Formats: sequence, C-alpha cells, structure tokens
Amino acid sequence: MINRYGSIALLLFVLVIITGCGKSPSETDKNEMVLRHIMPTKVRGLDPGDMRDRYSFTIGSQIFETLYQYHFLKRPYEIVPLLAEEMPLVSDDLLTYTIKIQKGIFYQDDECFAGGKGREVQADDFVYSLKRIANIKYLSQNWSLFDDKIVGLDEFREYTKGCESEQGIDYSRAVEGLQTPDDYTLVIRLKKPWPQMVSTALADLSTAPVAREAVDFYGKDIISNPVGTGPFMLEQWRRGSYFELVRNPNFRGEAYPLEGEPGDAERGYLDDAGRIMPFADKIIWTVILESQPAWFLFLEGKVDSSGIPKDNFGEAITQNMQLTESMHQRNIHLKTFLDPSTFWVGFNMLDSVLGKNKALRLAISRSIAREKFIELFSNNRDMVAHGMVVPLMDSYNPDIRDEGYSKYAPQEAKELLKEAEKVHGGKLPVLKLAVPGTDTFARQYGQFLVRQMTNIGLEVEAQYMDWPTYLEKMNGRSLQMFTSGAHASITDAQDFLQSFYSRNWAPGANNFNYSNPEFDRLYEKAVVMLDGPERRRLYRKMEKIALDDCPAAFLNHRVAYVLHHDWYKNYKPHAFAYGLSKYRRIDLEKRQAYKDLLKKLK
Amino acid sequence: MTTYIIRRLLYTIPIVFGVLLLTFILFNLVGGDPAIEMAGKNATAETIAEIRAEYGLDKPLFFSWDSQFINHFKNALTFHFGRARDRELIADKILRGAGPSLSLTVPMFFGTVAISVSLSLVVAFLRGSRWDTLIVILCVAGMSLPYLSFILFGQYFLAYKFGWFPVFFSPDLVTAEYIALPVIIGIVAGLGGNLRFYRTVMLDEMKSDYVRTAFAKGLSTKRVLFKHVLKNAMVPIITQVVLAIPFLFLGSLLLERFFGIPGLGYLMVEAIGSRDYFVINAMTYISAVLFVVFNLVTDICYVLVDPRVSFD
Repeated sequence: MINRYGSIALLLFVLVIITGCGKSPSETDKNEMVLRHIMPTKVRGLDPGDMRDRYSFTIGSQIFETLYQYHFLKRPYEIVPLLAEEMPLVSDDLLTYTIKIQKGIFYQDDECFAGGKGREVQADDFVYSLKRIANIKYLSQNWSLFDDKIVGLDEFREYTKGCESEQGIDYSRAVEGLQTPDDYTLVIRLKKPWPQMVSTALADLSTAPVAREAVDFYGKDIISNPVGTGPFMLEQWRRGSYFELVRNPNFRGEAYPLEGEPGDAERGYLDDAGRIMPFADKIIWTVILESQPAWFLFLEGKVDSSGIPKDNFGEAITQNMQLTESMHQRNIHLKTFLDPSTFWVGFNMLDSVLGKNKALRLAISRSIAREKFIELFSNNRDMVAHGMVVPLMDSYNPDIRDEGYSKYAPQEAKELLKEAEKVHGGKLPVLKLAVPGTDTFARQYGQFLVRQMTNIGLEVEAQYMDWPTYLEKMNGRSLQMFTSGAHASITDAQDFLQSFYSRNWAPGANNFNYSNPEFDRLYEKAVVMLDGPERRRLYRKMEKIALDDCPAAFLNHRVAYVLHHDWYKNYKPHAFAYGLSKYRRIDLEKRQAYKDLLKKLK
Repeated sequence: MTTYIIRRLLYTIPIVFGVLLLTFILFNLVGGDPAIEMAGKNATAETIAEIRAEYGLDKPLFFSWDSQFINHFKNALTFHFGRARDRELIADKILRGAGPSLSLTVPMFFGTVAISVSLSLVVAFLRGSRWDTLIVILCVAGMSLPYLSFILFGQYFLAYKFGWFPVFFSPDLVTAEYIALPVIIGIVAGLGGNLRFYRTVMLDEMKSDYVRTAFAKGLSTKRVLFKHVLKNAMVPIITQVVLAIPFLFLGSLLLERFFGIPGLGYLMVEAIGSRDYFVINAMTYISAVLFVVFNLVTDICYVLVDPRVSFD
C-alpha cells in the first residue's frame, strides 16, 4: 500500500519537475557571443507606443529603432540619425520638419506579414505610430508628449473619442501635420516651435515605427510580440523570469562609431571603430529582484555587469572610492557617471500651511543635512543637489552652489521657524511627509528626514504609502510634503523646468502646484527657442526664480557606480541612451579564463 | 456517499458567493480608483475615463444587470478573469505561474511530510531519550529562525561558497537543477513545526492500549509503528496534509524571489503591491474554490481511513 502511494508521489514529483517551467530554453553554444544582464524589476510590456519606464526601454530599444539616436561616444551628448538619412530639414519659422528616411530598412520576419517576411519600413509607418499614440482608445502613456504640438493630431484624438473601440479607428483619416510626400519622406508640421522635438520625441522609443500588420495580427497581445527593425529580436520572454533576444537577420548592419571624445581611443572605446554591429549573437536578461543573488551571479561571472548593492559596497569599493583589492584580483572594472536625476522633498504650494509660508519652507530646507543623507543612503556616492538642473546639462549653472539654496544651517532654520510661526499666526500644526514605499529603506528614508525637521523644533509625521496610493494623492493635490525626484530623458533642462510651469499642475509634472507668473513667462519664451546662450541664460534665470520661492528642498543628484568584468567590451556609460547592446562585445577567451581564475581564488 | 458529496458541494455555493462579495466590497471600499493608478503620471481626465470604460469601472456597482458586481460574479464562475493592469490575460499569468510554483511546492510538501512523519514516529518511539530532547531543541530552534535566514544561509554557503547548486535560475539549466536548493531549504525550514506537530500526534497514539498490546503480542517495532500507530494517527495527519494542498498553488514568495522561480507567490504579492485588483480577485477566488474542494476531500478521506466516521 505504502509502496503504491510512494510510487504515485514519486511520479507526481517527477512530472511536476519536468513540466514545471514549460518551454525549455534554447541551447547556448560555447562560441556564441552572449551578453548576460540583470533586470532588477518586472517589465510591463514591449509595445513602444505605450512604453514609458526605463526597464521596458532597455529591452525595447534593442528591438525597435527611432529616427534619431544619441551618439554612443561623443560628449557633450549629441543626437545623430538612426533610421533617418540625415538631421531634419527645419523651416525658418521652426514649424516644419522634413525628414528623409533611409531605404532598405526592413522589419524582422514575423507571421504577421504576408509569407512571414518582414517588409520595408516606409514613412507611413511613422505616421501610423504617431496616430496610434493619439488614439485615446489605445490609452498610451505617451500622449502628453504630443498634446497640442502637431497640426491636426489633437483633432484626430478628438475623432477617436467618438469611436466604439480601438479596432474601429480609421487610420487613413488625414492629419494635416503628418504628411508623406513619398515613401521615404516624412513631413511634420507643428502648431508652435518645438525645438526639443528631435531629442524629446523623435529619439524617444515611443515614436519607433510599428507595423500596422503586427498590431492588427496580435491585437492586445502586441505587448509581448514586438516586431521591430532593430539589431535584435525577441526569441523568448518568460514574464517575471528572463528575456532572450537573438540577432535579427533582417538588420541592415550599422557601423561602430569612428570617433568619440578625447581619451576614448586610449580607453579602448574605438577598437571596433567602423566594424559592423551588432557583435553579440544573443542577449539574456534575467529578472532578479533581490540584490544578494544578483551580486553572487556577478561575482561568479554569470552576468557581465552589475550595480553595487548597498550592503556589498564595502566589499567592492574602498573608503577612497576606489576598487578593493578583491575586485582587482577578479579583473573587475569600475565605471562611475552622473545620472541625470534630482531628488527632493517637495512642498504642495496649495497647502494652507506651507503654500503661503516661505519662511517655513526655507526652514525645512535648511534643516536637512544633505551630506549626512548621502553618506547614509548612497554610501557617499551621490552629489548634493543645489538646484533642480543636473550638472551634466549645458544650462547647469556652476555658480548655483554658492547661492546656498541647499545649505545645512540648523541655527538659521530655527530663526526662520520663529518667523514662520508669526506668518502662520501661532503654533504650527503637525506636518505630514508622504514617502512612497513601505519597505525598510523607505522607512529609514522617512525617519531621517523627519528627524532633521524635528531637530529644529517642527512636529512632523512620516506617512508611508504604496506607490498607487501616493500617486493618487499626488494627482489629487492632497499631499502636504512628499519625497520625490525626476530623471531626465533628454539633455535639455526643460525636462526639469517643466515641473515648475503652472500649466503643468498635478496630475501634470508640476507636483508642487507651484505658480510664478515671471517663471511662466520665461518658460513660454524659452521652450520655443533653439538651443543657444540666450536660452541657457533664460533657463538659469528660471531656475533661480523657482529656487528663491523654495517649492522644494533639493537633496541629491544620483551618481551611478557600475562594475563590469574585463571581458565586457565597449562599456561606456551613457546617461540617456538605452539601445546600447549593439555596441557591446564579449572577449570569449577572457570570459573562459575567469572560470579558471575563480577556481584559483576559491 | 454521492448524496453526501452533492450536499457538501451545495454548501460551497454560499461560501464562494460570500468570498466574491467580500472581495468585491473590500476592493471597492478601500481600493480607490484603479483607473487613476493605471493612467500613471500626467494623465488627463479623458484618459482616466477611457480606462474606466475599458475595464468596466464606469458601470454601476450593484443595482443593474450589467453592474460591476454581476460581471465580477459571472466572470468568476466562467473563469474569465479578463486582463491585468499590464494588459496581459490573467488566465495566462496564472497558468504560466502554476507550473513553476507547483514544481517548487509539491516536492517541498511531499519531502516535508514524508520526513517529518517518519522522524516523528522514531522520535515518539524514543521519547524521553537524549535523541528526543536534541530533536525537540532543534525543532524549536528551526521554528524560531526566520524563514529568510534559511534562504540567505543556504544561498550563500551551499550555492555561492561551495558551488553545489546554482545560485539562481538560468535559462541554461533544467528545472531540477535550479529548484533543488530551494526545495531543500523549504523542507529544512518547514521541518521544525511539522515534526513537533506530528510528534505530539504520535505520542498520543503511543500511549494507547493497543500499542502496548501489539508489543506484548511480540510484533516488531517497525510493524507496530508503521502498521498500527501510523494508521491510527491518520486523521490529524490528513487534516494537516490535505488542507495544506490548496496553499501549494499559491507558491512560496520568498523562495521564488530569491531563486528566480516565476511562480504564483510572486504574482500575488506583486499584484498586491501594484494594487492590481483584477489579479488579486482571480487569485483569491481560485484559492477559495480550492480550499472548499480540499475541505471536502479531507472529509471523504476521514471516512476512508477511520471506520468510526461515516457519510451519515
């Protein structure tokens, strides 16, 4: 009897083990050049029209391409053509952009096409992709990029509101500002000048051409069936587990850049100059949510590069912020670069206590010891933010640090607090600081900030909430103080400054609900100007206006520390681009040698 | 027996209805508007309204044939759970996650039950000895340690330091390779509580008259333990074992996260974190149905193993 039950249990066990994870992975040849990466979070979907998070961009940018891209090596960052033949021809009034599209760009082969063969990309594909974003039934997160920008596109959106469903949309309906005089020319007409269009929109993955056949064929499942023109195509995506991308045989080939910034040749970044990319045969991203296994896999040589988990920072980096001996022994390299991000404690300017009390906002700002904050929360990696604009941007004002907007001055803060009580007309109520997240890190973050404020005599309560709740309250303008931040997607400081423009109040980018007529006037003037000294001057002036009003206490700019093995070539950090796997190369001999090195080290 | 099963199945209807009603009310009362969250930052009121329409959130809550609750009820009964917030079909998510979860939890479950029941018999037989004391101490220690510490310890030493197991899932590995370590960790971490429970059950039986009689008749220890004591201890064992089966479906969140097993434990917690009510509803409903079914199975098993219990 027991034996029979035992056999059944054993059979069940074996069946479960065999069938447990479904489709078996494709075999990996030893001579195959495979890039192995870590994906620290779940990816929402691979439909470029609805992508907005950096992790989806990271995968999507290997599959889809845009008209323009950032130069891989040049600094300051520079935009260059990708699917376009050349930079756009812009009319004198800055309203019409004529873009020539390269011939011979083919979509990857897919069953959505007749005979399964990918067809050539034409100008109409770009028009379709833009109209698709405008279609309200599609619910794209990217519409705000194009709202009130292109002639006739808002009217097309209006038309879609009356349609029954996404399938019922007539995409042949003309949009005046999107014309295709021939198959390889796209003409975009704007309502008003939008000089940032190329970097903000045409180099943004949301505008990558999507084949209508693919959308019609896959319907809502297009999110997991990407059909692009890029160097790689999706082979397998086991959601929540891993992505496997392989070379796209229809990819036309692209030459590795011939020039970069001074010093690139010495650092080996030009060793592959002129060679046809991509170099890798396959890319595997493994979804790893916990830092311990990710770190172990990196040390075992099973992934090519890694960030440094906070708890392992001392193992990798010395107090002088150099690599430790054990990392040197493993031939591991360190790359650091400034991330285009700024973090802050924001004040809701509509709040009855904070909004009209500048002395209170200043007191809070002066109460925060930013250096200590950076030491505790980023192992001294980050930089103090003296304003919202990141130092790597042209319009960054190097003198801003001398203005003392982010200085730590507890005594001055206490004086300001007395003034704040006078303005308020009595004792200040308990202030509430909203912190997104309920985990240990969020609580430490909140506790530190609360402690700083209570040190000067304020009563503050941290409220920890999950992201959707936080977002809902933020959009409803009901948060009093909140920790937040922004990550720029372009080199233009407008990405940060738009957060202070009064027409962008929440649920727009201006979560502070800040308003200053002079700021607005300068913003409206600057955003339609071409990049140049005058616009930079206006940007700096606007930043100063906002800082004087203190709608936020700016905390830090993130500095990324990335480690990679010495077999991982052409690993030059880039703050804005995502589709970089085509440049990467693996030295297979060195990767093999690492296994022997590990045995010796153990 | 058939009448009994039919009667019990009829009892499940109000239970399932209650679960559906409770989850619906809870998510609508405390959940806030999922459309606002789905629309993300910078969304216009029009976009939010479209999302509401897309997911049927613009319909009346209760008092209409096309109300949200009626649709919620209909969808649950037909197992049409619709799409999650990321627009993927929920049924696909669940089907995809069930395999990995079960591949982890089923061997863990059988391993834990087999080892703890066998050991409990031995320990009960050796009650009062130094072995018994040592095992009880180890059980209490095992129960006191957080689950996470077993994972961190196992992953660091057995996988990273000694290299006996892979640290994490990799597409190059076959399933048995990468689930071996999490299964071992799961079994070891679960042994303490289970062993103590079964030891108590076995000790109760060992004190019975029939055991003394069996030994007096000269039966071997093995025969007394496995033929008589184990059979008589089956009722509490069945209760413990069969009622644990529905939870196997829910997977093991921590093991799944640390070893990269894309199962349902991760799916459920991720859904809670992102307030994906559509997924939470589906998982809650399936869990409730499984629980009710296995309750019935437990009752039938009682009759099969204990002649004192009948279907009447």
